[in-house]
Amino acid sequence: MHHRVIDQWSRGVSPLHALSAGVKLAALLGILIAISAAPTYPTIITASGLLTIAAMVSGLPFTGLLSRAAFVLPFTAIFALLTWWSGDPERALLLVAKSFLSGFAAVLFAATTPLAAWTNTLRRCRFPSTLVTVIEFLYRYLFVVAQQAETMRWAARGRGGFRFDAAGGAVGALFARSWQRADGIHRAMLARGFQGTPK
Amino acid sequence: MIHANYSNSRMHIPDGFLTPPVWLTLDVISVPVVAWVARRRPAVVSDLDRRVPLMGVMGAFVFAAQMINFPVGLGASGHLLGGTLLALMLGPGAAAIVLTAVLILQALLFQDGGVLALGANIFNMALAGVLLGYLPSRLFGRNMVTIFLGGMLSVLISGVLALAELQTSGVAITGHPAQVALLLFALTGIVEGAITVVVIRSIERLNHTALRSTSATSLHARLAVIGAAAVLALCGAWLASGAPDSLQLLASNVGLDAEPVWTHSPLANYEVSSLGPEWARRPAAGLLGLAFVYTMFSLGGKKR
Repeated sequence: MHHRVIDQWSRGVSPLHALSAGVKLAALLGILIAISAAPTYPTIITASGLLTIAAMVSGLPFTGLLSRAAFVLPFTAIFALLTWWSGDPERALLLVAKSFLSGFAAVLFAATTPLAAWTNTLRRCRFPSTLVTVIEFLYRYLFVVAQQAETMRWAARGRGGFRFDAAGGAVGALFARSWQRADGIHRAMLARGFQGTPK
Repeated sequence: MIHANYSNSRMHIPDGFLTPPVWLTLDVISVPVVAWVARRRPAVVSDLDRRVPLMGVMGAFVFAAQMINFPVGLGASGHLLGGTLLALMLGPGAAAIVLTAVLILQALLFQDGGVLALGANIFNMALAGVLLGYLPSRLFGRNMVTIFLGGMLSVLISGVLALAELQTSGVAITGHPAQVALLLFALTGIVEGAITVVVIRSIERLNHTALRSTSATSLHARLAVIGAAAVLALCGAWLASGAPDSLQLLASNVGLDAEPVWTHSPLANYEVSSLGPEWARRPAAGLLGLAFVYTMFSLGGKKR
């Protein structure tokens, strides 16, 4: 899965990785707001320059980062083409540049900041602790539940694929198992003295 | 095999599309609403820390469930989006939190939706989508029809809101592209409704403890739903005033423009023409309409 790579990247060692999550989050928002508020070529060129330097400092594979940022392109391409056809090619290019650069900035942030670091920052910024804890749980069990879904998909492929109602049965079973898993997790947490937020 | 995965006609707006006034407004709306929902304490306090791991695992479930493809004919497939399912299983508040968490992770780790656009995406999918997915079952009791309707409405409202926001930001989507987009949303909505129905039926067959019994609607809950719906109507009216095209397109698509009765009603053109200053008319009309619909629903709906 895609986020596994980002997770590994985020545990690297570089000056950018060492920077505190709060500073990186502020820088990310700053760049995004600048691109959004002043969408001109000087802003875009300055932002690309800064992001390229940051990517170099991070020591992560540059093309890898670029290809992850390209995940925004399918959505963007549709609207860019529409804008182009309606006779505004310059605006279309700007749209692609803006959304790609914004995506790249977000990738760079996620690829140099482990999830626990930025969720702790969110918690310190007085984000609702329920929401932050849910994000952490979600991330922790993403691999586990996704693995289960993957197994179901393989099994179904072995039987010749899902019919509509059979796929419904699989998702229902996945739901029930996730629910039981959550109950088990909660009991295990109580046994270890959990009181609302992770310590 | 063509993998025309409907939900990849995504409703996640990336950064770079919305203008600052639009994303800022929606951030300013969504953040306090989510914070309020997240800080609410359930009636039984010990329930809260039981629900936190549950919500987390359910978020992981939403991601994972999207890996299972539902064949919908012609080699195309769809998958569960999950807003309505979560709202019916966990309640709308918890569902909104789970989907917000999903959207935040999608924005940062999957480049699915922007960071500044998070407010917009949360508003469209985690708030409006969940609310509309939940409303039919809440008002009429849970049965196959209301579940289907909820799934369909939740997708439709998310899509239409996204279109309206893009439109307000000056991203030109008019004429045929807008019609195609609405058609896609409608198809995705039908698929989502059908998937939600089969999944809930299969959970029922498993006779799972997760099934919430439809409890009597308390006054408090009703007020919360009305309040949320009112906010939604206000925002919708505000957006509609900025983007009349797409909403009129929607109207013409569902046949509302063929000599509709309501052009003669006091709410014609979403404006209360006889009262109040200019700026208050559309929201007032929206609220009046809501009150009307709500009254009809509570008169017609089964009391439980």
